[in-house]
Amino acid sequence: MSVVAFIFYYITPYLAVLVFFGGIGYRLYRWSRKEPVGAHLSLFPRPEGRLARLADALVDTFTLRGLFKVNRLLWVGGFLMHLGLFFIFVGHIRAFTDFYFLWNLLGWGPEQQHTFSAVAGTIAGTLFTVPLFYLLARRWSGSMKWLSTPEDFLILYLLVGIGLTGFHMRLLRDVQVQELHRFFNGLATFNWQPAPVSTGSSFIYHFAFVQLLMIYFPFGKLTHTIGSVLSKMVVRS
Amino acid sequence: MLDKFTEVLRSRISRPLQYYEDICVRCGACIDACHFYAASGDPAHIPAHRMTLAKQVLQRRDSGDGMLLEWYRGIEGDGQRLTARLERAMWDCTGCRRCAVFCPFDLDTGLLVSAGRYSLLQEGIGPEMIGEIGDAEVSKGEIIEDIKEFYIEQMKELETRLQEETDIDIRVPMDKEGARVLYVPLVGEEAIVPAAKIFHAAGEDWTLSLLTATNHSYFTGDMEKAKKVARSVIEEAQRLGVEAIVYPECGHATRTLLYYFDAWFGDEIGGLTRTNIVKQVAGYLTEGRIQVKPGTFDTDLTYHDPCNLGRNGGMYEEPRRLIRSVATNLRELDPTRELNWCCGGGGGLIAATEDMDDVRMMGGRPKAEQIREAGVEWVVTACENCKTQLNDLNEHYALGVEIKGVVNLVADALVW
Repeated sequence: MSVVAFIFYYITPYLAVLVFFGGIGYRLYRWSRKEPVGAHLSLFPRPEGRLARLADALVDTFTLRGLFKVNRLLWVGGFLMHLGLFFIFVGHIRAFTDFYFLWNLLGWGPEQQHTFSAVAGTIAGTLFTVPLFYLLARRWSGSMKWLSTPEDFLILYLLVGIGLTGFHMRLLRDVQVQELHRFFNGLATFNWQPAPVSTGSSFIYHFAFVQLLMIYFPFGKLTHTIGSVLSKMVVRS
Repeated sequence: MLDKFTEVLRSRISRPLQYYEDICVRCGACIDACHFYAASGDPAHIPAHRMTLAKQVLQRRDSGDGMLLEWYRGIEGDGQRLTARLERAMWDCTGCRRCAVFCPFDLDTGLLVSAGRYSLLQEGIGPEMIGEIGDAEVSKGEIIEDIKEFYIEQMKELETRLQEETDIDIRVPMDKEGARVLYVPLVGEEAIVPAAKIFHAAGEDWTLSLLTATNHSYFTGDMEKAKKVARSVIEEAQRLGVEAIVYPECGHATRTLLYYFDAWFGDEIGGLTRTNIVKQVAGYLTEGRIQVKPGTFDTDLTYHDPCNLGRNGGMYEEPRRLIRSVATNLRELDPTRELNWCCGGGGGLIAATEDMDDVRMMGGRPKAEQIREAGVEWVVTACENCKTQLNDLNEHYALGVEIKGVVNLVADALVW
């Protein structure tokens, strides 16, 4: 294995995890240090009470209903992309463990699990990746051209890269889940195991891109993951 | 360049603004929200871009090391052009927050602009008139005890005239200790006479404030001065021992009364009820304390939600209920309520007079088109700035409508 590959398989993942969690902690700390604004910001409709505001913000998060009302096309792109992302997160549990409860319930053996994973994963990947092209293309013209910064383009390219490498492993190679379990659990327990081979050449890129994403995450706009709910709760108070 | 601006703006980045600086994804949902951008196509008017412009100074590194990071964040910086863009970004805004409604994260460009204006003024950038009026309000509040005789005399004259005109024993009590309600008007009879008639019909024990409700320091982002002006009102309320403060048909003043006073004065005002005149009058109608003649007005009319009373204040139903009680043909604008177009005259732009007149008329174009499309004869609203702006738009865009006030309509339809 080349030195570069070794670094990205066995060294930088720990760095990425540290920076990701540490960075988020730092971001939350920085936010907590800022003075609250000295007034109720009172944007209506305004739910009464903190819990109601949280519930409202979460409904918005999972449906993007506000966006649905004001920009239908953007809602389609944004919603589908995030929906795909959600399914991908759920599916990636299979890097470490598995949906044993579900497989037992359905009575599915390894072959059926594999097929289901291939189909579900492809759907999720499509829901995630295809809208990214729309989100990218719309930044090339009109008002979006004025508004967009290099960060906006770069992160979209990165996400497209993650999506496409994912597709490569799934559709052009035949990823075997046992190899993933062995490798990732090995990382988690510091009992290093050989890198997956069924995934082909894309794995290291996919893995490296994701690590780059994790390192970037706490310092860029992807913190809207957490900040969006916080912002909505304070502005609608 | 802009060192003072940078320093002050940094200190004004409160928690919600820090969220904004960090999490805006520049999705562009706000692009369709802003009436200035709709009319001008100037990127400095795109709400999220106003934050990017603020970041030009907040995130600029002076050393060459920061160049890559600056490029990546879209930091261009450039002395004069940047200053001109910042001026447009912060001053060409009414603080209506239609953009915050459109934003998936409710990011508050109105709050940004408040901080931005205050910071720009430290460099002397921006219309001076607004601040001058704000300073005059602070001064008036400080010396009101010494000059009150002048206002009391004025109101006695108004009272006499009112009694002669209506042939009813309507009073305009002023400086009345022990009254239940303190009504704080605006400059001009229009904010006093209709309210006086309704208070009289309702048998309310009220007193007219020596002060006015407007708070122009709010428009310049000078929250310290805004608080001082508000304090004068509280002091008068406490001196006279009233139970309730009622604010007039004024958007920004009502917003401060209902949503800023708590943070400014806390428990000190715990015993005081605070409300807007439209809600007060709606209450009188519901309780049967006033009677109106249904169908007094049968013109095709619509109600324009003032931004600070609607999306920023949550008061949608009471003005409509009042209008329906006296008029037969109330139609809704499209869009309406929290999505309604701003009239384009808020944020102190009217007070800025010639400096901002052109911008104000330009920014009002979406509103004018909306009104034209509605095909109504009257536009009724509940904010004095809106009334002024809508009247100006009516002339500028030849809309052929008349602008009315909610409280005025009710007062004209009173059954004595």
